Amino acid sequence: MNIVVAIKHIPSIADDLPVSGKNVDFDSVDFVLNEWDEHSIEQAVLIKEAVGGTVTVVGVDLIGELDNVLHLALAKGADKVVKITADDPAADSHMQAKWLAEAIKGMGANMVFAGVQASNDLDGQIGPMIAAYLDMPYIGGVSSVEANGDSATVNKEFAGGAGAKYSVSMPFVAGVQAAPKPPRYAPVSKVRQMAQTATIETVSPSGDASAGLAFKNMAPPVATGHAEMIEGSSKEVAAKIVELLKSKGLA
Amino acid sequence: MSNDILVITEHMDGKFSDVSFEMVGKARELASALGGQAVAVVIGSGVDANVFASDSTLHIDDAALSGFNPEAYAKIVEALVKEKSPKAVLFGWTVTGMDVAAWLSAKTGAPCAAYAKDIRVDGGGFVVSCQVYGGKLMAEVAPEGDMAVIACLAGSFPVEAGQGSTAATATASPVDAGSLKVKFVEAIKPAGGDVDITAQAKLVSIGRGIGGKENVELAEELAQALGATVSASRPVVDAGWLPRTRQVGKSGLKVKPKLYLMLGISGAPEHLEGMKSAELIIAINTDKKAPIFNVAHYGATADLFEVAEAMLELL
Amino acid sequence: MLTPVEKIIFILAAIASVGFTFHGFKTIIDSIRKGRPAPELKNIPGSLLKAGIAVLFQQTIFKARKLLSAIHMGLFFGLITYAFVNLTDALEGLIPGFDLVYGGKHLPYENVPTGLINTFNLIADVMSGFLLIAITVFFVRRFITKDKALTFRDNVLLNPKVKAGGQNRDSLVVDVFVVMHVGARLMSQAFRLTEGADPFMPIASFLNGIFGASEVGVHVAWWISLGWVMFIIPYLSRSKHTHFFMSPVNLGLAKQNPRGQLDPAVPLKMIEGTRFDPGAKHVHDLAWTRVLDAYACVQCNRCQDVCPANFYQRPLSPSALEVNKRYLLKEATFGGHPEKLELPLTETVISPEAVWSCTTCYACVRVCPVGNEPMADIVDIRRRMLVDGYEIDSGVQNALQSLATNGNWMSKGKRLRGKWAKEMEFPVKDATAEPVDHLWFVGDTASFDERVIPITKMVARIFNAAGLDFGILYKEESNAGNDVRRVGEEGLFEQLVEQNMAAFGKSQFQRIVTTDPHSFNTLKNEYPQFGSEWEVKHYTVTLLRLIEEGKLTIKNKLSNYKVTFHDPCYLGRYNGGFTAPRKLLELCGVEFVEMPRNCENSFCCGAGGGQIWMGKVAPGERPAENRIKEALTTFGEGAGDKTQLFIVTCPKDMIMYSDAVKTTGNEGKIEVRDIVQLIAEAVGVEEPKVAEPVAA
Ligand SMILES: Cc1cc2nc3c(=O)[nH]c(=O)nc-3n(C[C@H](O)[C@H](O)[C@H](O)COP(=O)(O)OP(=O)(O)OC[C@H]3O[C@@H](n4cnc5c(N)ncnc54)[C@H](O)[C@@H]3O)c2cc1C
Ligand code: SF4
Ligand code: SF4
Repeated sequence: MNIVVAIKHIPSIADDLPVSGKNVDFDSVDFVLNEWDEHSIEQAVLIKEAVGGTVTVVGVDLIGELDNVLHLALAKGADKVVKITADDPAADSHMQAKWLAEAIKGMGANMVFAGVQASNDLDGQIGPMIAAYLDMPYIGGVSSVEANGDSATVNKEFAGGAGAKYSVSMPFVAGVQAAPKPPRYAPVSKVRQMAQTATIETVSPSGDASAGLAFKNMAPPVATGHAEMIEGSSKEVAAKIVELLKSKGLA
Repeated sequence: MSNDILVITEHMDGKFSDVSFEMVGKARELASALGGQAVAVVIGSGVDANVFASDSTLHIDDAALSGFNPEAYAKIVEALVKEKSPKAVLFGWTVTGMDVAAWLSAKTGAPCAAYAKDIRVDGGGFVVSCQVYGGKLMAEVAPEGDMAVIACLAGSFPVEAGQGSTAATATASPVDAGSLKVKFVEAIKPAGGDVDITAQAKLVSIGRGIGGKENVELAEELAQALGATVSASRPVVDAGWLPRTRQVGKSGLKVKPKLYLMLGISGAPEHLEGMKSAELIIAINTDKKAPIFNVAHYGATADLFEVAEAMLELL
Repeated sequence: MLTPVEKIIFILAAIASVGFTFHGFKTIIDSIRKGRPAPELKNIPGSLLKAGIAVLFQQTIFKARKLLSAIHMGLFFGLITYAFVNLTDALEGLIPGFDLVYGGKHLPYENVPTGLINTFNLIADVMSGFLLIAITVFFVRRFITKDKALTFRDNVLLNPKVKAGGQNRDSLVVDVFVVMHVGARLMSQAFRLTEGADPFMPIASFLNGIFGASEVGVHVAWWISLGWVMFIIPYLSRSKHTHFFMSPVNLGLAKQNPRGQLDPAVPLKMIEGTRFDPGAKHVHDLAWTRVLDAYACVQCNRCQDVCPANFYQRPLSPSALEVNKRYLLKEATFGGHPEKLELPLTETVISPEAVWSCTTCYACVRVCPVGNEPMADIVDIRRRMLVDGYEIDSGVQNALQSLATNGNWMSKGKRLRGKWAKEMEFPVKDATAEPVDHLWFVGDTASFDERVIPITKMVARIFNAAGLDFGILYKEESNAGNDVRRVGEEGLFEQLVEQNMAAFGKSQFQRIVTTDPHSFNTLKNEYPQFGSEWEVKHYTVTLLRLIEEGKLTIKNKLSNYKVTFHDPCYLGRYNGGFTAPRKLLELCGVEFVEMPRNCENSFCCGAGGGQIWMGKVAPGERPAENRIKEALTTFGEGAGDKTQLFIVTCPKDMIMYSDAVKTTGNEGKIEVRDIVQLIAEAVGVEEPKVAEPVAA
């Protein structure tokens, strides 16, 4: 089984996000691996462990710091890692998806995994776009993948604990919501060992696509930090809450 | 090229989700500003499609599509877009809409704006407010070109504005279900046992302010009236007033419901860890300095018993 | 006395006994030597001598169970005396006419030291009686009253032989030996008294009064007495009572580096051709000194008594760990099942759940009378589990992941670390940008936890009021790694050390002060191995110095408070920081009462060793809750109109105990406060009415 995992390096939302002009001030944020990508890597490694094969992790290097992430992926069980050197922290999902699709094209992937979403997917997620560029079907919200021959059984999650089982013929792209098991922990000693021994294949971006969005403004949402207080007697408070819930379709 | 707005609605078990109505309502507003039509698109069978306040409703009624199929939906919408050349296609930024919106964008070359909280018309085009970076930033973007794909966060617009009774026109699916690579096999129902609070859309969560086991019933009643489930902070569980499966927090479960109504919970960091990404947090606490008010979206300094009883009367 | 035939039999038996004993100890030593190299021990003869003296005076056992320890001491002296007694008995058998009764008047020598012989006879006689009583006490304790302290919780992993009562059998054999041996010896002396009572042998004389003298009796009793010795000595090497011989050795070879310094995950001493994986999977992955622990273990369960995890009904018992190790080694050697050594320790010695229940509080190591380190084994097992990809608790994993990316365990961005300082009414220096005297290493909890930040700010205010030249590292500070190391993530620990050392390198300062005992411990005891040369102080020491130097003046005596103090493990037991906090309390003028478990014997709050990160929390009374109850019992009724305070000096304690006060329903009765809050009140430093943040 040949599994390719496409990952996204994104600004960490653990910190406050400073804005410069009409976008994030990329110079003063830390970049981290998108949290759902951890699940797609785990899902890929689980399949490899179950049926054999290779896992290739590929991502766009936006700020020259992707190596750490790729070493981590190797420590978690990836066999091969590839970085697309872009050096453009503002590269949007469309661009990244295009470059990734071009890089993945020649890899002979049976399955391509991506995180179901990322917090900076302003112009959509890379998973469905890679599918569109590679002309493969896409299925997102995936909570488990089992490979059987040239098709896979894929579980997709809906709201409220419901879900559905699909049979998908390969090759396809899946947006992973959660791996069946929590992503494994890679001990730092192993990551460091990878950093010393592993090689990262480097490719240049090829292809061109764009989000087609003109940025008008970017700012922290107004009025965060404190609840909007509902005043009045208990009865009035109750009435206002019920009204609020009704307006949001929650009561 | 038209000024129409297509709304890709979504439904499960014969019921449309709220976001479908929200989008139809918004689409009407946008379409009338642009001089086009709001077209609700219903894909799949086993659902009454005559429930929208749209200008028209298109029902692609195919028994082969009774379960959601991302590939089929994508191809159908692609065909519709070719046929209708709309000004915008609205999706919900939901487990189903998310599968199609960005795909359509990449396939057609139309821009996509996701995590949309608001859309307005501006000089013949749109300006979309998107809640990105986990809600830490709001981005305002203007999609360029003839058509925009916009994926809307649930709860962004009022539901009522989209509710109506426009008669749907049924059409056949332009896609041959047999040629699909993705096949729907079966639905998976939620697991049995005690309720899984992580899978609930609405939670009424009680803390030590509830005072005793005998008062849990009041919370249960309120939850029932709201169609919600009762969850709790750790002291409530430690005291044995509710089972451990209901505990939210660091040493309990992490939840992300649409509604988290908190009664008598102070908002310790260990509790916040489990619920801070809930979409709507409302906190009732007698202590106006309770730290939960720094996190909740709405709060009230009030007695939880009085508020709960008053709410029960209104529901 | 003995006939020639008897003599031949005796000599042959003695040779066999020596042979078996030699084989026994050789087997044990071989299995100990298979352990990994241990950290270098200095001056071994010296420390062996010191240990010998400690054993002679039984110093180490008095750390707990005072009465039983006294009886043990008697037993010990009794058995030492008996070594001489057995020698003279053997001579009595082998040398014709060698007879010490009646002051040795029948001895075929001239100038017999009658006084000496009488003294010896008296001691031997009385000691025999005492031994019989002492052994009865231990027998009753184990078999009749079945002291709970000698049993294990049902959820603790035990070697099947231990479960089946193997320890009891060993004890029974030794009890019977002592009774038979001592009893027979007394009888053999009684039968010798052909001339009636000997005033220097009161017990033997008493027995002689009942049974009379008998030549045959002498022979039979002699053989029973010495025959048992020849059997028991080789038996001991194979039983739990090897501790007779091994515990003094173990004490002599006990840990020499500071308590707060863990041994490295891989031995520093390289052996050519051997590649060591970090930590321990099998018993011989442990350092040889810790294989020896198993043989030295008295199986007294003193360590289990003080273990907070065991208290919290977790499946962890440090003594079970040593006992299981011992039985495993025994099965592999004397039992002829070397293949058992291939089984992982987590199946044979300690359950994985137990491994992850340890708070690394050091209480077990501290209390152990023979210098064992069960905690070190647990950390080594964790180390290997992590490297082997064992699925760890989700909370611990989240914490580690966040530590690797953010440098803190709370999933906060690096830049938010100094946020509290930017909110202060005076500028807090950035030590990476300007030189300072004191570098304040703040720690994660104190930097990020909303509940602790007010205390952090108060420390800053007091430092500022005292004119202390201090600064912090802002975003350059990373978690010090104390608990990371104790969770077993050695690689991450090293990464954090490197990050902090780099930050130190960028800064100019004279000394380090910490508010967090965990950071304090590793900075003080472990960072020097990575090149840190700075003096490290806990803030309690710094505060005391500021007061003593007159930089801070106590203006208000706080006689309205009745307080008790909790010694945090990593300040107290690990680093001996007992006096500064107590002196501070005294200076504040509060009424101070000491809890029963204080100083060295303080009870862990349950948060250490990564426990505070655990995603799953077990039911049952938590250690912190037990501690709050202890404080309230200590206060007793009627503090009058005084407010009762539980004083802490560790940010984690603030969280654990505030929580426990709530969960035990004791709000209003007792309040948890950091010592700095008292100091602030006493020196009159207050929170500003409206904090005017200054731009950084
Ligand atoms: C290691 C660790 C792990 C933990 N894990 C968790 C966890 O997973 N989940 C969790 O929840 N906690 C956890 N805690 C406990 C946490 O720190 C808090 O103690 C706990 O969340 C407090 O619960 P609470 O808000 O219900 O109680 P409290 O903090 O006592 O708050 C009760 C609130 O009710 C209000 N109140 C009282 N009466 C009324 C009334 N009539 N009407 C309205 N309001 C009223 C009070 O003003 C108060 O704010 C953990 C703690 C530790 C140390
Ligand atoms: S260090 Fe503390 S918690 Fe761990 S085994 Fe020893 S006594 Fe128990
Ligand atoms: S390890 Fe030490 S304290 Fe524990 S049972 Fe053995 S001898 Fe006693």
